[in-house]
Amino acid sequence: MLSYRYTLRETFQNLWRNILLAVATVITVGVSLAMFGGFALFQVAVDSATQRWEEDIEFVIWLDSEADITALDNIKKQLNESPGVASYNFVDQQEAFIEFQELFADSPEVIGTVEQNAMPASFRVVPKDPNVDVIKELGEQFRTQPGVRTVVFASEAIRDIQNLADRAGRVLFLGSAILLAASTLLILNTLAIAISNRRQEIEIMRVVGATKWFIRLPFMLEGLIQGMLGACAAIASNVLLKTYIIEQFSETDALKLLAGFKVGDAALMRTNLMVFVIAGAVSAIGSGFAVTMYLER
Amino acid sequence: MIKLENVTKVFKGDVVALRDASIDIGKGEFVFLVGPSGSGKSTFIRLINRENVTDHGRIFVAGKDISTLTSWKVPYLRRNIGYIFQDFKLLPKKTVSENVAFALEVIGKPRRVIQRQVPAILELVGLSHKINRFPSELSGGEQQRVSIARAFVNRPLILLADEPTGNLDPTTSVDIMRLLERINDTGTTVVMATHDSGIVNSMRQRVVELSRGMIIRDQARGVYQ
Repeated sequence: MLSYRYTLRETFQNLWRNILLAVATVITVGVSLAMFGGFALFQVAVDSATQRWEEDIEFVIWLDSEADITALDNIKKQLNESPGVASYNFVDQQEAFIEFQELFADSPEVIGTVEQNAMPASFRVVPKDPNVDVIKELGEQFRTQPGVRTVVFASEAIRDIQNLADRAGRVLFLGSAILLAASTLLILNTLAIAISNRRQEIEIMRVVGATKWFIRLPFMLEGLIQGMLGACAAIASNVLLKTYIIEQFSETDALKLLAGFKVGDAALMRTNLMVFVIAGAVSAIGSGFAVTMYLER
Repeated sequence: MIKLENVTKVFKGDVVALRDASIDIGKGEFVFLVGPSGSGKSTFIRLINRENVTDHGRIFVAGKDISTLTSWKVPYLRRNIGYIFQDFKLLPKKTVSENVAFALEVIGKPRRVIQRQVPAILELVGLSHKINRFPSELSGGEQQRVSIARAFVNRPLILLADEPTGNLDPTTSVDIMRLLERINDTGTTVVMATHDSGIVNSMRQRVVELSRGMIIRDQARGVYQ
């Protein structure tokens, strides 16, 4: 039988006796998970901003909503025959509407204002030559075609953002991975110290017949609490990041390119859940190693 | 109560701590283990407590073969065995009553049981007036009384004592022995390793002498020699 009163008292006494180290551990876990959360949210934001520019699509031919079949066929024919076009993808009104719904899944009030037949269909074109001037020339050929509303190019800036996002993402990911490894070791170390502080108690406990789990549990709980406090800090940071940084982008006109930066509540929830799971894993691994290395004989 | 059958225990570097030892200790007996340092007294005690495992032979405690006991059952064996250390091993930040209560708390005894048993056992060892003192405020003899109270509070079948008077002066030692005798009178089997010839000779209990890991003498109402 486990005595909850005893286990909880021991857990918090351990934390309190080692408060400086415990705080250091919580901060490290928090920072590493906040970095991980930042990485995940940033990825979501970049994805939403550059969604239609993925897979090397370099320009989009937007059609008038009233464009007829003949106009459509003409454009298709021209794309098929053009030697500069590697491939293209036709997105009809229905698909465009679905994409729009996904993009604004968290804002039903926006979705409600738009009807499917108001969504423009488009051709998303992948050219053979990545050279900007060649692409520009190719795309401009379609601008004057009947049925075409406009031609939009993936500007250098978008490519830059994608590149930057990739690189920043890698740095954040690597950084958070290193810090998470450090957190695991820090939890292990904190518990090793807690265990060595209580050597005498543990010896007595063994002699009088306390079970292995009874002896282990306060230490494992201590590790878990440190991990979870770190996770809470990281989740607070995620929420701040979404509310005060990412959402600022989407409202500023000055930074048109960043206007698409958007993180939905669902994505935030997913990220927070991931942060919790990782914190659980880090503390389980750290405290698991600590009790097997320092408690078992 | 305790039975050893051809027990051999060898430590690293081929140090034979116990060689082919066989003995039968009945319920309620008081047994002194004597012999020079390194003769195997402590190993004998640690094998009964399953702190060490035999290499050969079998050990029965209360009819159960403990040499084959799975590790998760060991704590339950130890709940039937009280253990008294030479150096008391009291927790310095806990009071007398907290030290005794600790032994019950960590085996999950409910609070009301602890609140009833701790004062009772402290009265038995004669420390009712010092329940809120810390170990550092007690004499050596008083500390050993606390240690005995902790070992006996759960009413074990067996009390193992490894040199319990080793750190005490002769007068205090006699008090401690009187206490162990009273506990023995309640039917608890007591096995005590000691170097103290005066105590052994005055008590005239069963004496088991060990030399280089072998039992060389087993004498009822024996002396130290």
